[in-house]
Amino acid sequence: MQLKKSSSVRKMLAVATTSLLSGMAHSANSSGDNGWEMDSAILYYSEADRISVIEPVVSLRKDIGDENFLNFRFVLDSLTGSSPNGAIKTSTAQTFTTPSGNSNYTTAANETPLDPTFHDTRGALNAEWEMPLNKTTKAIFGANISAEFDYQSLGVSANISWDFNNRNTTLTTGAAYNADTINPVGGVPTGLTAMSASKSSTGSGDNKQVIDLIIGVTQVINRTTLMQFNLNIGTDSGYMTDPYKILSVLDGSGNLRGTDPYLYEKRPDSRTRQALYWKTVMGFSEDVLNLSYRYYWDDWDVSSHTVEMKYRFSLGNKHYLQPEARYYVQDKANFYYYNLVDGALPTYASADYRLADLKTSTLAFKYGIDMGNDSEFSVRLGKMNQTSNGDASFEDVDATFVQLNYRMVF
Amino acid sequence: MRVFSIFILSILLGLSVHASPITSIPLKTDNGNIKLSDFNGTVIYLDFWASWCIPCRKSFPWMNDIQKKFGNKGFKVIAVNLDEEHNKAKAFLDKIPANFTIAYDPDGVSATAFKVKGMPSSYLIDRTGNIISSHIGFREKEIPTMENKIKLLLKK
Amino acid sequence: MKSYVSILLILITLMSGCSSWGVQPWERNKLAEKKMQLEPAPLDSYLDAHIYYSKESSSGGAGVGGGGCGCN
Repeated sequence: MQLKKSSSVRKMLAVATTSLLSGMAHSANSSGDNGWEMDSAILYYSEADRISVIEPVVSLRKDIGDENFLNFRFVLDSLTGSSPNGAIKTSTAQTFTTPSGNSNYTTAANETPLDPTFHDTRGALNAEWEMPLNKTTKAIFGANISAEFDYQSLGVSANISWDFNNRNTTLTTGAAYNADTINPVGGVPTGLTAMSASKSSTGSGDNKQVIDLIIGVTQVINRTTLMQFNLNIGTDSGYMTDPYKILSVLDGSGNLRGTDPYLYEKRPDSRTRQALYWKTVMGFSEDVLNLSYRYYWDDWDVSSHTVEMKYRFSLGNKHYLQPEARYYVQDKANFYYYNLVDGALPTYASADYRLADLKTSTLAFKYGIDMGNDSEFSVRLGKMNQTSNGDASFEDVDATFVQLNYRMVF
Repeated sequence: MRVFSIFILSILLGLSVHASPITSIPLKTDNGNIKLSDFNGTVIYLDFWASWCIPCRKSFPWMNDIQKKFGNKGFKVIAVNLDEEHNKAKAFLDKIPANFTIAYDPDGVSATAFKVKGMPSSYLIDRTGNIISSHIGFREKEIPTMENKIKLLLKK
Repeated sequence: MKSYVSILLILITLMSGCSSWGVQPWERNKLAEKKMQLEPAPLDSYLDAHIYYSKESSSGGAGVGGGGCGCN
């Protein structure tokens, strides 16, 4: 029986990005002809032997007069495949219960246990209204809604920007609030209790609230250089555990313990996080360099550095080729364990490799063609590799993605 | 004596450069140079624009309109282009034709002299060459106010 | 709290020190180009943020405006 279930933590986190960090075009560069600008893309992302995602997205922008604009974005996100359930590989085959408790799945000896029942589709809609407050001040109000089989989210956001120094400097402040509800298959398991068909459950559902604040300064340096510096502070409170993930418990001799060898994970119910972000855009004749750095830290003791660089080579005035590179390194959460050991249990524990010491390296190429009449077609191809950066030696994740974009006005 | 007269001449020259009004700055057009002072007796709407300036696209149809409406009352629109690349200005004018005088100032000399603070910027100059008002930006809802100001100057 | 105050002070210093940086209003031709925006391909950034948000434990940072033609 194919069970419909999603990677809830992934979805929970993904929704938060749609509010403040919407990335929808806010520049003064719309066609301004009282027409529509459409930007669309489809992403195909695939991890070797694991999950695959197909994600079409379309965004629309309309000039509604008097320097007011409406922005809409709709995205569909369809996920299939299998994902690590948090248990470690052992020298013998293992059997796990599915979240509904209705069936089991097995993993062969010496293989990383993967839950094969991932299959879900999510839809999300984001709308924004951009309005001038006076000649040098602008506000953007947004709302977003997202839904999938076991997860729903609603959110609102507000941003205000002020221009000064002859519009060479822009100060922006923003706030966003998101409320999420999760109704996992089989109910919410009680953290750090045994995985079983009749699991201990805290009830049918749970929720989470996310607040984000941002303050940023953008500065024109010269005719061809722009720089931005942002500080983002956020708090998450509520249910943040992945209800479908477990930890293996080993005995004193390094084997799975006899009773209750698998426990559901348990994460704290609050998280306070900060991100410092710097970005520069520099033009070199018709080429453009895009460079950014982010330092992130939170009270789960996760901290990370992200460096991203893109260089757009202009190939004549009709097309371009842009190599892109990203490097990310993360320090693990203070409740991350590769596996637990029989004895006193910690208050919080998770074996989700995404909380571990890790590095992500990405290399991509984007090729774009100007089709005339303010339209552009582009294709982007990339490879991402994730590997353990510490003692915990989870398996590498290798992913490839292909993205097609089309932008036009009408 | 000679040194003295050269000295006096240079001071006078220096003074005259400072005292020279901005209405004497030469503006390059397709038909040679013009100066605002050439049009004493005419009300001038002086506009600073560029091909990359989105509100400028909306201002051109209106400037065509006022040049047509008020031209016979001694009124002249002069739009100074500030594009660094001349071909971009030409491409703009091919798409959005102008039935008024266009001047080109790629180095922004006149923009600096007029202390342009935003794009687009416009200045209303009366029949005696005085700058009466200046305006930053172009918004359709400000058209009635602008036209009233022009009509007021045209009466004089 | 202390680190927030120092970060804000840095931002404010950058802003006030920045009056020597910048361009004249008519010198924004390059800055007005689509490819010179802070977010030249918003959907790329959105899709990337989505991927990394679900594969890593960090979030946030980007997403405010500025730059551009500076018109009106």
